[in-house]
Amino acid sequence: MKTCISCGMPMTKPSDFPLEDESKDYCVYCARPDGSMQSYSEKLAGMTGFLIRTQGLDEEAARQLAARNMAKLPAWKTTAAD
Amino acid sequence: MKKTSRQLQKEQTREFLLKTAYEYFSEHGILNTRMSDIAQAAGVSHGTVFLHFATQEALVTEVVETYCGKIALRTHELAKSCTSIQEVLSAHLEGIQEYEPFYTRLVIENRLLPPAARDAWINIQSAVSFHFGRVLERTRGEKQVAALPVSALFNLWIGLIHHYLANGDLFAPDGKVLERHGDTLIEYYMKLIHYETEEEKHGREAHESQKGEMLLRAPWREAGRSAF
Ligand SMILES: [Zn+2]
Repeated sequence: MKTCISCGMPMTKPSDFPLEDESKDYCVYCARPDGSMQSYSEKLAGMTGFLIRTQGLDEEAARQLAARNMAKLPAWKTTAAD
Repeated sequence: MKKTSRQLQKEQTREFLLKTAYEYFSEHGILNTRMSDIAQAAGVSHGTVFLHFATQEALVTEVVETYCGKIALRTHELAKSCTSIQEVLSAHLEGIQEYEPFYTRLVIENRLLPPAARDAWINIQSAVSFHFGRVLERTRGEKQVAALPVSALFNLWIGLIHHYLANGDLFAPDGKVLERHGDTLIEYYMKLIHYETEEEKHGREAHESQKGEMLLRAPWREAGRSAF
């Protein structure tokens, strides 16, 4: 099973992939409309927004949690250490 | 590269210690447990445990990360094909139920855990809130859902479930809180968040009057003074 390198989501069906392209290592939620992968800052903003919208977290707490989670993922391991 | 038998044995011991710690934590609590308890439960020396986990914090973090990862993945697997809120809630409880004693410890102790362990715990909630939000947005177009933000509806649900689990000794002393109360809590919650459309209201009222319940109504309600 493939796991998204950017957010960690398991990818099990074609619709989990950007434009249903199963050769990609990142998921549909980590892609831009054209199918390319979102940047670190785009993804950080997206994950922060998700935590606020669905769980009601404080903005700064959500941003820090998102950053800590991203730091563990293959796509961002080095970026986050900067 | 092929692993040596010594490497394999080391990995197996590590797996075994993680599983033993998971079971011990489930029964006795996480932060109450000492490294020596795990060593004793696993039937190994104190030194063997320290060889794999330098500190208690390292052991706790790895056990919680490993099992929270399993719970989050299981919940995601169960919830990904759900198309109604009720299905998502059932999938959520089914995912927890398989790990209920350990999950309950996390409900009680999560604020006190090492930061990485606590993050892993919050990630379970994110796996649920992802599907909850996805389905709720679709439902809003089809059904009457209380006009509250996704986060409010989600937290209302999580708060309810976690309250029952945290105080399981009072709600189900045999330890099986979800088996005993899960379906009822889903039913109550659904009634709470779905308000009736005019059509549904008329249908219900026609049904109630058929059953003769009109006779039981207080006269003031009939006079059009319904306060509700
Ligand atoms: Zn992703």
